Amino acid sequence: MKVGIISFAHTHALSYAAILRDRSDVECVVTDPDHALRPAGESGGPALAESIGVGYLDTVDELLAWRPDAVIVCSENARHVDDVERAAAAGAHILCEKPLATTRQDAERIIDACDRAGVSLMTAFPVRFTPHYAELRHRVQNGDLGDVLSISGANNGRLPAERAWFTDPVLAGGGAVADHTVHVADLVFGLFPGVEAVKVFAVANRMLHADREAETAGLVSIEYSNGVTAVIDCSWSVPDHYPTWGGLTLRVIAEGGNAELAPFAERVDGFSETDRAPLWLSYGVDLDAAMLDEFLSAVAEKRRPVPDGRDGLRALDVVLAAYESIATGHPAAVARSA
Amino acid sequence: MTASTVGLVGAGGIAQVHLPGWLDLGFDVVVHSTDGRARELTDRFGGRAVDSMDELLDTVDIVDVVTPTDTHRPIVERAAAAGKHVVCEKPLALTVADSAAMIAACSRAGIRLFPAHVVRYFPAYTAMQTAVAAGRVGTPAAQRFFRIGSAPKQPWFREQARSGGLAMDQLIHDFDQARWSAGEVETVYATRTGDESAGPTTVQAILRHSSGTITHVNGVWGRPGLGFRYGFSVVGPDGLLEHDSLRYPVLQYDGLADADQGYLPPVDAASSPYTAELADFARAIRDGGPARVSAEDALEAVRIATAVNRSIDERTEITLDTATSPHTGDDREGER
Repeated sequence: MKVGIISFAHTHALSYAAILRDRSDVECVVTDPDHALRPAGESGGPALAESIGVGYLDTVDELLAWRPDAVIVCSENARHVDDVERAAAAGAHILCEKPLATTRQDAERIIDACDRAGVSLMTAFPVRFTPHYAELRHRVQNGDLGDVLSISGANNGRLPAERAWFTDPVLAGGGAVADHTVHVADLVFGLFPGVEAVKVFAVANRMLHADREAETAGLVSIEYSNGVTAVIDCSWSVPDHYPTWGGLTLRVIAEGGNAELAPFAERVDGFSETDRAPLWLSYGVDLDAAMLDEFLSAVAEKRRPVPDGRDGLRALDVVLAAYESIATGHPAAVARSA
Repeated sequence: MTASTVGLVGAGGIAQVHLPGWLDLGFDVVVHSTDGRARELTDRFGGRAVDSMDELLDTVDIVDVVTPTDTHRPIVERAAAAGKHVVCEKPLALTVADSAAMIAACSRAGIRLFPAHVVRYFPAYTAMQTAVAAGRVGTPAAQRFFRIGSAPKQPWFREQARSGGLAMDQLIHDFDQARWSAGEVETVYATRTGDESAGPTTVQAILRHSSGTITHVNGVWGRPGLGFRYGFSVVGPDGLLEHDSLRYPVLQYDGLADADQGYLPPVDAASSPYTAELADFARAIRDGGPARVSAEDALEAVRIATAVNRSIDERTEITLDTATSPHTGDDREGER
């Protein structure tokens, strides 16, 4: 299978490229046409592709002329829509980095473009592929926890310092709220099939990394159509020199007891005398690889991947309502999915 | 003055830690309770039961009020009128107005009022607050506090009109902590799910502080058998502090049959934060200095908790009403 990657703007592209390079059933080629426009010192382009060991083409047109079966869009969030429309029109199945877009209109254009072209659209929510999440979802849906009352989620990470655009509200659609709310929001949606987010209240500040234009800390409260509430801490609050990038936790509070999920908890702890710093040796399932496996399997089997474009849109709707709430200081109603 | 006799009013759950605490500190204790359980308590822990408030007030130097919250004000005011220093279990009262009236009554009587906000004496919180005050994380940007356990069994806790519910009775600890580390709270937004009057229930609250800090507080009164667990995360531009009461156990048991851990955290008598709290109050009475937590702190915690309950009812963000100030009475002895 031929898989193209559009842009190294989102650094998840580096992980995807390395995983695809190692798959014997995949040929992977990257294009990173805007790499020269990035701030000095940011990696990209043919040099980065070469260092990973994947093929490189100079433009999106050249990449699409190569006739990829599937394309992974990792450009800046606001540029997803253009890249998806072009790739879908060329007949490629799409895996789009999250958040799906920065506006509802763009997200709908992305979904429509894929529908019109008859190609699959998947949103990149790798944490969905945590095996323990599948177990939790099974137990919640089986009623083992009784009625769920509320969820406390946290997706904290370092400021994504390797790319300046993450804190450019125009390119990213915001800051930490746009970047980190969607993962937990998607996990919560996944627990309750058919549920909708109804109401969102959010607060944010720029006290961490105060030189950045976008918000770096945020709390998002969500009320769902089934009566469940959730609060998500989406802050880029992991210190720059912390021994790991960050993590995600989900506390499910239910009538029959609580469950705590920490997909990135597995590790060996230690201390390096050489580095004079703690050691944190993460292990566990490679969630990116599991997600790519679902994407490529869906493409091969001609079925709809999960999570799809609509899953990306409903997570984006929560983000957009959060920004509305931050702007007005009042709770915001969530747009109803078409 | 040297206070040597404490009058404990109430014989419920907290009395079971306050009574041994006072006795450990060398105080004589008399206990009065209108529920008739005073003697049961003194038989178990020591001290002496008395049959009336008058008898208690005739005997003691300090009154420790550990009754249901809705009864605090008249008992505190009576103790103040009798010229006794007062320790009052948290929350001070169910309203800001009652809290302010209690503070004013104690001020007029020239006696001290100490709120039993015991989490101020839990070492993990003390360590965090000391580090924050020393500037080790910078101004906190985001804070998370959680407090999870099985719901208290005494029925009055389940009555909003008597206890103020989960937010007022339990999360008031975390509101106090959030304010201690990040300063005054300006607005709150909160939701509650579950049946607070009977079943498992949970409150999620978001606080905004004048400093710009945002705080998340999550509390659970869960099913019987749910273990007690609490913790926090405080992050600022210069660092991160986090704690989970289950993460670094000093002593663990496994395989024991007794699963129901009750609604209070397990404490070791020798290092009990409850005893440390009472010792701090006794010291403050002795030397006239401030205690780690003041009645004004307690009033501010009540102000936050009442706003949280209002936010739950009105389903929107509430700006704290700061019209009622604790400083409506005369200057108080011991105020610094």
